[in-house]
Amino acid sequence: MIYLDNGATSFHKPPRVYRAVEEAMYRCANPGRGGYRAALEASRQIYRCREAAGSLFSCLPEQVALTTSCTHGLNIAIRSIVKPGAKVVVSGFEHNAVTRPLRALGAKITVAGRKLFDWEDTLTEFYRALKNGVDGAVFTHVSNVFGYILPVEEMAAMCRSFGVPFIIDAAQSAGTLPVSMAALGADFVAMPGHKGLLGPQGTGLLLCKGEAVPLLYGGTGSASASQEMPDFLPDRLEAGTLNVPGYAGLTEGLRYILNTGTDKIFRREHAQLERCAEGLKKLGMKVFSGPHQAGTVSFLPGMDCEEAAEQLGSLGIAVRAGLHCAPFAHESAGTLETGTVRVSFGYDASDAQRLGLLQAVSKLTPFSS
Amino acid sequence: MKFYYITFRSVTYAQRGESVLSARNIRCTLLRTPKWMEEQGCGYCLRLWTSDATPAVELLRQNRVPLRKIYAQRSDGQLEELTV
Repeated sequence: MIYLDNGATSFHKPPRVYRAVEEAMYRCANPGRGGYRAALEASRQIYRCREAAGSLFSCLPEQVALTTSCTHGLNIAIRSIVKPGAKVVVSGFEHNAVTRPLRALGAKITVAGRKLFDWEDTLTEFYRALKNGVDGAVFTHVSNVFGYILPVEEMAAMCRSFGVPFIIDAAQSAGTLPVSMAALGADFVAMPGHKGLLGPQGTGLLLCKGEAVPLLYGGTGSASASQEMPDFLPDRLEAGTLNVPGYAGLTEGLRYILNTGTDKIFRREHAQLERCAEGLKKLGMKVFSGPHQAGTVSFLPGMDCEEAAEQLGSLGIAVRAGLHCAPFAHESAGTLETGTVRVSFGYDASDAQRLGLLQAVSKLTPFSS
Repeated sequence: MKFYYITFRSVTYAQRGESVLSARNIRCTLLRTPKWMEEQGCGYCLRLWTSDATPAVELLRQNRVPLRKIYAQRSDGQLEELTV
């Protein structure tokens, strides 16, 4: 199989990720709960994960809350800064993981910047929304559908200058692009553990600047006499037993990225992306590509996109079609009715993957014909 | 040899403290905090030699590791709480 669905999850992990999961299952009991060797080993394993994340994202280990997914982290973050009915600005490329929690809170959403790959439009519209007055901002770093890299540093600076709390969804950028809590000054940055960070599914990270509202309540292994959740991080956000084997794997994914460097990973993905976009265009596809693009590209195959992905799957090519849980992004690009076929390269991007995809795309045949 | 015990509200703080001290070759042991030391229940502490206590506390403060309490072992072996 040629796996090109890294936007959904990184399917092939560095070998040490798999080994770490297994070893943790043999060696680790419940972290933060006991004083015997296996419990302390679990605590150390969890701490190593926080430490590696802190190194990669420029924050302290206790600012790294462990979540089950990026969606989990976004829900915590949104409930921490958005009051019911508040006015919130989002980009035109948000995932349902952002927009559904906002809708559930009855937030009044302003969508700012809907032109793909156009930083000027994004920044102008975002500034306009901030100037009109909002209570909070949530924006993605990279569109999960189109790979559009938003100008998050500038957007963060705008939020800081207006004194607006903000959340960054780093679902598609963590592990591929630099993300610095210290530089961004974000209230929260949420990310999955199983995509660019190369960890197992069921893991995620929420980087927290300071105060946060728990989503789950329960035992934390700390301040147990109190019936209130601890008022300190990360315990405040981590009720219940943590997924130690998962975070052991994630630690190794983080270490792989720290050793390799996000620059190298990005260059590898982007090189394939550019050549892939050109190749798809030569095959007559409508391709969504432009400046400020990460390792993800969407295209219209000239037939139903789900049929196209089905055929590619039968030829051994794993891509994702449809709306990608991001109707706002498709609305922005005018593809809400059709959806797109999404190709997303990972840290192991190669010529063989790209050429295999293009060869398979050249064989696509509408079912109706 | 006498010990000092430094308690923390969270195992994460205790571990960061352990990391800070280990980086400066100050030996310490991560332990569950004895129940009588922690009225809120469930915490972790670092045990270290008395001779290392002053530089250790200084290092923890420099690195903004939030301490909760400090206990020193007296000559009779009993522990007494010091003012943080």
